[in-house]
Amino acid sequence: MNNIISNVLRFLVLLIVQIVICQHVCLFGYMTPALFLLALFLLPLELPLSLQYFIGFATGFVVDAFAHTLGVSSFSCTLIMFLRPFIVRFLNGSNINRFENIDRPVPGVKDFRWILLYTFILTAIYQIVSVLLGTMTFKNFGHTLMVILGNTVFTVFVILCVEYVFYNKVRNES
Amino acid sequence: MNNLIEFFKKAFHIIVLAVLLILSVVMLGKSLAFNEYRLSRAVQGIVGPIQKSGAGMVHRFRLGPENEALVEQNIRLMREQENMFLEKVDTVLTEMSKPDSINRRQVRLYDYTYAHVIFKTVDRAFNYMIVDKGAKDGVERDMAVLSPEGVAGVVTDVSSNFATVRPILHPESRISAVVTPANQNGTLVWEGNDPRVASLEAIPQHSEINIGDSVFTNGFSNIFPKGLFIGTVKSVQVGNNASFLTIKVNLATKYTDVYTVYLVENLFKPEIDSLKANFKDE
Repeated sequence: MNNIISNVLRFLVLLIVQIVICQHVCLFGYMTPALFLLALFLLPLELPLSLQYFIGFATGFVVDAFAHTLGVSSFSCTLIMFLRPFIVRFLNGSNINRFENIDRPVPGVKDFRWILLYTFILTAIYQIVSVLLGTMTFKNFGHTLMVILGNTVFTVFVILCVEYVFYNKVRNES
Repeated sequence: MNNLIEFFKKAFHIIVLAVLLILSVVMLGKSLAFNEYRLSRAVQGIVGPIQKSGAGMVHRFRLGPENEALVEQNIRLMREQENMFLEKVDTVLTEMSKPDSINRRQVRLYDYTYAHVIFKTVDRAFNYMIVDKGAKDGVERDMAVLSPEGVAGVVTDVSSNFATVRPILHPESRISAVVTPANQNGTLVWEGNDPRVASLEAIPQHSEINIGDSVFTNGFSNIFPKGLFIGTVKSVQVGNNASFLTIKVNLATKYTDVYTVYLVENLFKPEIDSLKANFKDE
C-alpha cells in the first residue's frame, strides 16, 4: 500500500516537473531532458506486464498531450516498458534469480554500473524511437543524431543525479 | 477451451502491448495527417488551460526583460510623436515649390530616454525621487520626467550615475499647464500633503472649467513637450483672490508605485536659454 502511494506520488511529481520545467529546457538549442522516464525506470518489476505497458502508455500520453506530439512518447514509453524486463535480465546475467524479492532497479540494491547501464540503454532506446518518430524523416540525419545523443546524455545525467540524491539513502534503510 | 483460456492468460500482456502500440501509431498517424484532428483538439481542450496557467507562471519570471523591451519600444514610438518636432519652413525653396511638400522640414526638438526609480518619497512636505541614470547616460539638469501615466517631475540634480528628480509633489515645483476644452493656461503647483492631488493656479474666473476636464502641459516652458497628460480636474472653487479659480487636479502619475520613468531632453535648450538670459526681469 505504502509502495503504491509512493509510486503514484513519484509519477505525479516527475510528470509535473517534466511538463512545467523540463519540457521548456533547451540546452544548446536541442538538449531536452526526459526526466519523467525515471518514474518508469523505478516501477517495480513484479507488476503485471500488461499493467506496466498501460502505465507506460498513459505516462507517454500525458507527456504527449502537453508537448503536442500525440503518439510519439506513448509509443516509445510502451516500447521501453516492453523491453525493460529483457534489459534487466540481460544486465543481471545468469547469476541472479530474477524472481528474487530484492530485484529492484534502484540504487542501493544495484551498483552504480548496473544503474548507469540500465538507465542509459532504456533512455537511448526511448530517445532514438521518439526523436525519429517526432522528426519522421532521415533528412539532415546528422542533426537528428546529435539531438538523440544530446538528449540521451543529458537525460541520463539528470536522472542519475535525481536518483542518487533522492533514492540512495531511502532504499539503503529499508 | 481450457487451452484457449490458458493461451489468453499467457498472451494477455502481448495483446495489451500490441493494442497500445497500434493505438499510439494511429494517434501519431492521425496527428501527422492533418492539424484539425479531433482527438488532438479534445486533448488540447483539457491541456490548454493548464498550459496557459503554466505559461503564465513561467512568464512571470521573464517579466523584467520583457518590460525593458517594452519600455524601449515605447521610447521608439514616443520619439515619433508630433510634439517631438519643430516644423520649419525651408525658406530657400518656399516660393518655388508647393506648400506642404518638401519645403517643410521637421526638426527634432525633444528626445527621450528612460530610467528606473531607485528611491522616492511621497509622504513628506518636500518629496524627491532618485533614478538610476546620471550624467554618464546623458541625463542633464532640467530634463522633464514622465511616468507611464503622465508628467512626473523635473531633474534637479545630476551625479555621474544617478539623478535627483523633483516630482510635482514639491512646493517649488511649477509646471505650466493648459485645461481643455476651455484652453486656459495656468500653473500647476503642489501645496497639500496628498500625493494624488495638486492645484492649478492662475486660471481666470470667467473660464468654464468642469470637473473631469483634462490638464495637459502647454509647452511654454522649454522643459516639457506640448500635450503631455498631467491629470484631470477634481474640483473647482472660486478662490479668495476673486479673479482666479481654485482648481484641484487629480494627478495621473501614481507616485506610490512609479518605477519606470521617461526622461525628456530638449535638444534646443541651450539656444532657448541663451535667449531667456536676455529677459530683463528673470
